[in-house]
Amino acid sequence: MIAQVLAVVIFAAMFLLIVTEKFERHIITLSCGLLTLLLVFGLSMHSMSAIIETLNLHSIIKPGFWYTSGSGGESEAGINWATIIFIFGMMIMVEGMAKAGFFRWLCMRLAKLVNYKPVPLFITFMIMSFILAMFIDSITVILFLAAVTIELAKLLKFNPVPMILSEIFCANLGGSATMCGDPPNIIIGTSFEYSFADFLTNTGVIAAISMIVIIIYFYLVFGRKMAANAAQDIDFSSIPEPKDAITNKKDFIISSIIFGCAVVLLVTHAQTGLTVAFIGTAVAIVTLIAAGKDAAGLLKKVDFKTLMFFIGLFAVVGGLEQTGILEIIASFIGDISGGNLKLMVAIIIWISAIASAFVDNIPFAATMIPVIRSLAATQGVDLSTLAWALSMGTDIGGSATPIGASANVVGTSVAAKNGYFIGWGEYCKSAAPATIIVVTISMIIIFIRYC
Amino acid sequence: MEKQLIISVSREYGSAGHEIAENIAKEMNLNFYDRNMLDEIATKKNMQIEHLKKYDEKPRNIFNSRKVGSFTNSYEQIIAEMQFDYIREKADSGESFVIVGRCAETVLKENKALVSIFILGDKDTKLKRIMDKFQLNASDAAAKIRRHDRNRKQYHNHYSEGKWGDSRLYDMCINSSRLGTEKTTAVVKHFIEETITAS
Repeated sequence: MIAQVLAVVIFAAMFLLIVTEKFERHIITLSCGLLTLLLVFGLSMHSMSAIIETLNLHSIIKPGFWYTSGSGGESEAGINWATIIFIFGMMIMVEGMAKAGFFRWLCMRLAKLVNYKPVPLFITFMIMSFILAMFIDSITVILFLAAVTIELAKLLKFNPVPMILSEIFCANLGGSATMCGDPPNIIIGTSFEYSFADFLTNTGVIAAISMIVIIIYFYLVFGRKMAANAAQDIDFSSIPEPKDAITNKKDFIISSIIFGCAVVLLVTHAQTGLTVAFIGTAVAIVTLIAAGKDAAGLLKKVDFKTLMFFIGLFAVVGGLEQTGILEIIASFIGDISGGNLKLMVAIIIWISAIASAFVDNIPFAATMIPVIRSLAATQGVDLSTLAWALSMGTDIGGSATPIGASANVVGTSVAAKNGYFIGWGEYCKSAAPATIIVVTISMIIIFIRYC
Repeated sequence: MEKQLIISVSREYGSAGHEIAENIAKEMNLNFYDRNMLDEIATKKNMQIEHLKKYDEKPRNIFNSRKVGSFTNSYEQIIAEMQFDYIREKADSGESFVIVGRCAETVLKENKALVSIFILGDKDTKLKRIMDKFQLNASDAAAKIRRHDRNRKQYHNHYSEGKWGDSRLYDMCINSSRLGTEKTTAVVKHFIEETITAS
């Protein structure tokens, strides 16, 4: 009982401290993680096995961590090292691509392809945001897209805010389509040993259908405004050429090849048996070798604070898991749904969406994973159905408000630094209905396909 | 070439710190920066001045903003950073000036040309000044002082390791209620001149 109370208090304190931003969030989660190990597992439970299980270091040395025969094995509790190693590898690869000018080149190339016309540009950038976010973290996608959008808006004399808002939404939607698109999906995928193809054929289908609806939605909301934006007196010679974005041709080619290989490895990892931890490590090693003397610079740019944040977070969630708190939540959801799968899906998807609109969706997803695992086991329902509901709820719910997801924060921050302030009212006016539309579509598809 | 001089003036609300800073700038023939820097920032960045004024010198609202890495969508923080950059640019250009608030004593703490002042006041004097200035009753004026000082404190302490009003953070702290605005200006000016001579 004391252990349960302590685990909940530490978890609640962690959430509150993250919101207040008094300290950096990795310091908060690491400190709370340490407190969980000491107070919950050590002082209250006197359980060394709980500490070992939560630290989960033994999982890394197992061959199954790096290579599986393809069949889903026993999912691990505690710190999800596969997620952390994969994100680390992708961070290095993305740094290499950004340094070579890949993202800026891609944005400029596509803008030129549509002759810099506002409406085609608006739609093309939405699609590009969706596709890039399927493989690359949404922060990087929005960082480059928003910057280029603002640059083009200044040259082409249009208001970039509608484009930035739609790009942010599509980045979050694209992230939901694959296992590596959004952190909640990476955590869900590695926790339940789902493959890239599992996501693509489930959340990917939902995201693709939603994307069609969302393009129409944003066109109806902003299309006329964008068309009216088309200025006549534009000096096209002032627009930078796409090739100028490339800082080093050799690095550009190498980073493009590495990215292509990473995509192929991810898409085929169920067939090859290579785990995402292996792919992340391989991608990082190849990028660092290719970078040569610049490798140290790339390593320095890796966001280690985010990786630390994940480690601490998993330890705190491990406290809730080991003390049985999450099983209590799971049985509560089971009780109110009366074993009805449709009701369980509706509860999970809407609670995840609403919570993710206001709090960081990563801790939320990490907390909900043991909940749905327990729910599936006790209620005898299909775990993957609940996992897809959790994935769509957390990934899409974050789109509703400026603070819901990382891409929203970065997009609105880049816009504000360039003089375009997007208030809560303006943001939510277009994003909240879009979120409700996509969550509803997701729920209906899950009902039809799995329930 | 004349030696660079930067005077940062932090102040309690109602202490006449702003007026004292303005007087010093006039008497010493220095450029004066306060909220007016927002006009220049707005023009330079093609922004609406109303947006800047709305979030000027205010602490971050923890419920409507978040930080991701080095990015924040707190407009209070974005505008604060813009002002800090503006102050640094002015200082790096070699210009001499007086700056009111905006954590200047922290932003420019490495600058040898900086003289930092904190102006405080007695509760009753501050209350009377605000009542007269804004035609408010005592309770409204007291609430206004509390609100502004709380905002300034939170704003300052977010960006500075030192605490707002902590004497160890400033070269000089002075209670303007003892001598009044004019004489306090004279004392502060004298201190600045002596500091220049000594350095």
